[in-house]
Amino acid sequence: MSADPTRRVVLAASAALPLLVAGCRGTQALGRPPQPSAAVRHLRAAIAAEQSMVARYQRVLALLADDRAAAGSGPPARATLTGLLAEHQDHLRALRSRLIPGSPQAAGSGSLPSPSVTEVPAAPRPAISYLGRAEQAASDRLLSQVLLVPPSLAQLFASISASEATHVPVLAAAGVTL
Amino acid sequence: MSAAGRAVTRRLTAASISALQAALAAEQAAAYGYGVVGSHLSGTQAESATADWVTHQAAADKLDGLLAAGGASGTPAGVAYQLPGAVHTAAQATALAATLEDQVTSAYLGLVARGSRDLRMLGAQEARAAALRAARWRGTTVAFPGLPAGGR
Repeated sequence: MSADPTRRVVLAASAALPLLVAGCRGTQALGRPPQPSAAVRHLRAAIAAEQSMVARYQRVLALLADDRAAAGSGPPARATLTGLLAEHQDHLRALRSRLIPGSPQAAGSGSLPSPSVTEVPAAPRPAISYLGRAEQAASDRLLSQVLLVPPSLAQLFASISASEATHVPVLAAAGVTL
Repeated sequence: MSAAGRAVTRRLTAASISALQAALAAEQAAAYGYGVVGSHLSGTQAESATADWVTHQAAADKLDGLLAAGGASGTPAGVAYQLPGAVHTAAQATALAATLEDQVTSAYLGLVARGSRDLRMLGAQEARAAALRAARWRGTTVAFPGLPAGGR
């Protein structure tokens, strides 16, 4: 019974965002776009954060491939990480789709901030722990921004924050199997 | 920030009320469903189901309180709920638990989108907690917990 209206809300809210983003330049926007430039800034930061997560996974996966050749660590951890990486790539696509390509807001002051990835630990187990900490930090960061962006973008941030939180126990379990 | 400043009214907006009611309905359905889930599980899984059942009861009470404080009244729980499928085995029970948590996640995301500012953070936190429970029961993760397939 309750699934229907809820789903409608989710869909309606998602559909509303392009209007908000498209309208954020002028004051004749439909409705009342809440703090559009700040929202776009937070969106761009979220995109950069996802790019960093993707880069971290790619580095750790490369590390595990090397390590397997060297020390014979099994493939289960790699399969797990590959699955989690795919979810981050989905996050990245969804976030990018909220920017209107070519709009002044999308362009901002230049290209998107480049992802920053600090050194990934060289050994497999610490590297996987590192990913777990990065996931928790990314999840917390998105959660803290829910009040800083328009409601429909907040909904996406909250869902991605939840997804990243679910990766933490998966990574902890994967580290144990190494 | 609105230049008008905060008009701190204790009354809830209509959108907040309907989002809170949807979350309450999902919590009540989950509390009912976990009774069924727990009866088909044993050992640590049964303990988890009991803990989650208590969590959903408490969450329903909290939402009820928020509605009451805002001048509305929560819709009472149903006597029984139609389950999405038959539950005869432990595997079906854990699948039901995951589905219940999906519905709770989705309802709280509704609160994120439609609730007033103070309710949006609650919605996001509870959506994350429910997604964690869903992933634990299901043993797999998804890219967009609580959102329709595709996530956008």
